[in-house]
Amino acid sequence: MVAMLHAPYVIGSYVVTLGGIALYTVGMFARARKAAKRLPDEERPWS
Amino acid sequence: MSEPTDSDLNLAPREVVPTAARGKKKPWFAYAVLVLALGAGGLFVAKFLTNAIDYYCNVDEIGHKSGCDVGRNIRIQGVVDKDSIEKAGAVTNFVVTFHGESIPVVLSSKPTGLFQECIPVVITGKVVDADDGTQYFEGNEVLVKHSENYDKENKDRVATANGEAAACSQKG
Amino acid sequence: MNLTSSSSSSPSPSPTSTRFTRALGVAALVGIGWLVLFGLFLSPNDRVQKTGVRILYIHVPSAWLAYLAFGVTGLSSAAYLWKRTRNLQWDRVAGASAEVGVLFMGITLVSGSLWGRISWGQFWTWDARLTTTAFLFVTYIGYLAVRDLGGTHQQRAKRSAVMALLAVLEVPLVHFSVKWWRPLHQNETVEKGKLNGLMLFSLFIGLISFTLLYVWLVIHRQRVLALNDQVDDRGLDLALAARREES
Repeated sequence: MVAMLHAPYVIGSYVVTLGGIALYTVGMFARARKAAKRLPDEERPWS
Repeated sequence: MSEPTDSDLNLAPREVVPTAARGKKKPWFAYAVLVLALGAGGLFVAKFLTNAIDYYCNVDEIGHKSGCDVGRNIRIQGVVDKDSIEKAGAVTNFVVTFHGESIPVVLSSKPTGLFQECIPVVITGKVVDADDGTQYFEGNEVLVKHSENYDKENKDRVATANGEAAACSQKG
Repeated sequence: MNLTSSSSSSPSPSPTSTRFTRALGVAALVGIGWLVLFGLFLSPNDRVQKTGVRILYIHVPSAWLAYLAFGVTGLSSAAYLWKRTRNLQWDRVAGASAEVGVLFMGITLVSGSLWGRISWGQFWTWDARLTTTAFLFVTYIGYLAVRDLGGTHQQRAKRSAVMALLAVLEVPLVHFSVKWWRPLHQNETVEKGKLNGLMLFSLFIGLISFTLLYVWLVIHRQRVLALNDQVDDRGLDLALAARREES
C-alpha cells in the first residue's frame, strides 16, 4: 500500500530526469544546427 | 568596365547586422537572470538563517546545553520508541530517545512521511513542564530523518527482526 | 566560399557529432536503459523506504555529476586564467560544463524534493544541505548569466573564469554541510558502506551512465559554443561578403 502511494513520486522523478535531459539535448542540437548553417564545414575541426 | 573595389561598397548598416559579441544582442535578459539569481540567493540565506533561529538539540541535551531550555522554541532529535505511538483525537503521543535519555512528545499535527517506530525524527516545538513535575515536548511538526542505512525489504525474518532491534536499541 | 554550408544535408543529427560522440551517446543511452531497468524494476524495495529508495539511483549520481561539472568548470577557468595555457577553448569547456552541471543540479533538487516528500513528509525544508544546494544552483545560473553580459570573447572568458573560481568554493560547503551542521538530510551512503547488493549495483549503473552522459553533453555543448564564437568572429566577414555580392 505504502509502495503504491509512493509510486507517482518515484516515477515522476525518473520522468523529470529523463525528460529534462532529453529537452536539453534537443535544444542544444537545435542551437548547433542554427549556428552551423551560418558557417562553412571547415570551421568544424572535429569533423 | 573595371571590377568593383571595396571602396565602392555600400557599408550602411542593414536591419540585421552580425555582431562580434553575442552577449550584446540581449544583455538585458542576462542582467535580469543575474538579478533574479542574486535575489534568490539572498532569499535562501535569509530563509536558512530564520530557520536556524530554533536551536537544534538532541534529546539528551535538553536542559543541559545552552539554548536547549524549557519553554523555548527548539527542534529536538531522537528515535521514536517502540510501541510508544498513540493517537488521541487530533494529537499523536509518542516517546523519543537519544543516547539513553527520553522525553514524551505530544504532537498537534498529523505525522507524515515515513513516521513510524524506531525511526529518527526531528520535532519542532518546546519543552513544557507538566503538572506532575515531569516534562514533555509540545510538538507542532515532525519530520522523519531517515538514516543512510538501506536494507532490502524481503530479507529473511530473523535478519529483519535483528535489524529492527538494533535500529531501535541504537536510540540515535 | 560556401558560407551557408551543406551541414543541414548531413546525415548526422548534429553538426557537432563525430564517430566518437555517436559511440559515446549510444553507450550513455544503453546505460540509461539499464538504469531504468534496474532502478525501477530489478532492484529490491528498501525495508523502511519501500519503493522510495529507487529515487536514490538518480538523485545521488546527478548530485555527484553536478559537483564534477562545477569542478571541471573551476579547473578549466583556472587553465584559462593561467597565461601559459590561456586559450578560449578552456573557457568554452568551462561554460559547457557549468551548463550541464546546472542541468544535473536541477535534477538533484527536483528528485530530492520528491524523495523528501516520501521520506520526511515535505517537499522542501530549509535544512543546511538543501539550502546550500539551492544556493549552489542559483550561483551557477548567475555564472551562466555573467557569461552572456556581452563584450569580447576574451572579456567574457576572463570575468566568468574569476566567478567560476569563487563559485567552486561552494562545492565543499554543500558536500560537508551534513557534517558541519545537523541537517535533516542523511549522511553519505556509499562512503559508509550502507548500501549493498542490487541496490549498490543500481547506484553504480546510475553513476556510470550519468558520467557518460555528462561527457557526451559537454563535448557537444562546447562545440556548439565554438560554432557560436566562430559565427561571432566571422560576423564582419559575412557582412562584407554580402555587400560584395550586392555590388
